[in-house]
Amino acid sequence: MSLAFTRCIFRGLPQYVVQQSLLVDGHNAAKSVICVPSMTLRTTVPLRAEPKKKKKVDPKRELMMRERLKKRLKKLEKVPPELIPIEDFVTSSKCMDEERTRSAQVVSFEENERRALLLKEWSRYKREQHMAEMKSIESALEAQREALDELKITSEELYQAALKPDFSLLPFTHEGPAYTPPKSQYEAPDGNIMMQPGFILSKSVFIMQEHCIN
Amino acid sequence: MAAPCGRMASRYVIQFLSTFPRTTSRMIVGFRHFSSSCECRVAIKTKSVSEPVSPSPYRLAAAVCLQRLPVISADCAPLEQSFKDMMLQIELEKSLLSDHELRLIEDADRLRRKQAEDYDSDEEDSHMDQDIVLAQDLEDAWEQKFRNFQPAPRVRDDVDKELNSVQRCLTDSLVLVAEQTVGDQKLWLLPQTQWQEGETLRQTAERALASLPVGLKATFLGNAPCGVYKYKLPKPLRTENSLGTKVFFFKAILSDSSPSTPPNGGLLWLKKSELQGYLKPAYMMKVGQFIMDL
Repeated sequence: MSLAFTRCIFRGLPQYVVQQSLLVDGHNAAKSVICVPSMTLRTTVPLRAEPKKKKKVDPKRELMMRERLKKRLKKLEKVPPELIPIEDFVTSSKCMDEERTRSAQVVSFEENERRALLLKEWSRYKREQHMAEMKSIESALEAQREALDELKITSEELYQAALKPDFSLLPFTHEGPAYTPPKSQYEAPDGNIMMQPGFILSKSVFIMQEHCIN
Repeated sequence: MAAPCGRMASRYVIQFLSTFPRTTSRMIVGFRHFSSSCECRVAIKTKSVSEPVSPSPYRLAAAVCLQRLPVISADCAPLEQSFKDMMLQIELEKSLLSDHELRLIEDADRLRRKQAEDYDSDEEDSHMDQDIVLAQDLEDAWEQKFRNFQPAPRVRDDVDKELNSVQRCLTDSLVLVAEQTVGDQKLWLLPQTQWQEGETLRQTAERALASLPVGLKATFLGNAPCGVYKYKLPKPLRTENSLGTKVFFFKAILSDSSPSTPPNGGLLWLKKSELQGYLKPAYMMKVGQFIMDL
C-alpha cells in the first residue's frame, strides 16, 4: 500500500528510473521499477528543442523584404540633399550689434583728396614693381633655355640627365622673413595662441601678439 | 634645288665612310670643314644624329650659385610707409568696436558713475566679478610685458660691413663668391669644378660646393642648369682638346645659416649690386641674368 501511495505522489514529479536490482528488498523477488524524483541540477542537454524549419516560403519572404527596403531607400534618395549653411556667409549677430558702431569720424575734403592721390601713386609704384619682377623672371628663363641648348649641343646624355625631374626637391620648406632676426639661445615661454571664432581686429590686439616678433 | 641634292649626296658619302671605323673620325673632320664652307649646314646636324658624336673641344665645368635668402623683411620705402599708415587708418574708421574696447568703455563709465555723488552699489551686483580687474589694467600689464621683451636688432652696421659673414644684410639675398685659380689667374667667381666622366653636372656642382673649406648645407633646385658661360682660351693656350670651357650654373638655397667654422678669406657673400665690383664684366653679364634681386 505504501508503494502505491508513493507512486501516486511521484507521478507528477520529474522522475528518474532506478533499477530495482540495486535496492535490497526481501519482499518482492520480481523486478519492479521505482521512480525517484530528480529535483537536483539538470546535467543533460535539453533534448526537446526543434531546429528552425526552412520552408520554401522563407527565401521568397526575404526577397520581398529586401525589395521593400530598396524601394524605401530610393524614395529617400530622391529628396535633394539639404545644403549645409556656410558659416562665413552668415553675418554673425555680434557684428549687427548697434552698440559697436564707432562714433562717425568725418573725413575732411583735403584728407580724401590726399588719399585718392596716394592710391594713384601706389598703383603706379606697384605696376613698376610688377614689370621689374616679370622682366627678371623672363631673363632667368631665357638664361636657362640658353644653358639647356648649350648642354644639348655638348652632350646628349648630360642633357637627358638634366631633364629628369628631381623628386628629392619637393616638399620644399623655407621659413620666410620675419620682422626681427632670430635670437640665438632664446627660450620661448610656454603658451597657446588663443583665437576665438569671429575674431575682430582692433588696435589693442597688436600689443597681445608679441610672440609674432620672434 | 641644288642644296637638297647636296644634302642627299653628303648623307650617302657619310654612310659609305662609316663602314671604315678607324679612318672615320679624321675623314669626317675633313668633311665637316668641306661642308661648312658650302651651304649645307643641315647635313652636319643629320650626321651628328646618325653617328656617335666626336668629343666636344670644350671642357665642361659646373658651378653653384648659392643664395642665402633674406632673413628679415625689408624696410618700407617712404611711399610704402605712407600707404601702410593710410590703410590702417581707413581700416580703423570702417571697423566696429571690439570686445576689448567695449569693455574699456564700460569700465570707464562705471568708474565715472562710482565717482559721482549719488551712487547706488546695489545696481552693480551682477557685475561683481568684473570689478576686480579693469580692462585698462590688463592693457598696462601687456604693455609692461612687451617692454620687457628685447628683440634682436634688425640692422647691425658692423656685421654688414664684413663681406665674408653670412649674417650681413639680413634684408637682402646674398650670393656666395669664391676666389679660385683658373688657368694661371686668380679670379673671383661662383665656386666651380671640372666635370669628371660618369657623373651628371649636378653632381659636379654638389662636389664644387663640398670642396669649399666652410661646410655649407644647401638644397639644389632641380637637375637642370640655370645658366651657362663659355669662354675660349687665348690662342697660344689652345690645344686640340681644349678650345675653352663651358661652365654650367646650378642654383641652390642655403639650408642652415649657422656659421659653424670661422669665415675664410677666400669666400664672400655679396648682394647683386656688389657683384659688379668683383666679377669680370662678361661673366657678370651672364650670371646677372639668373640672379634675381627681388
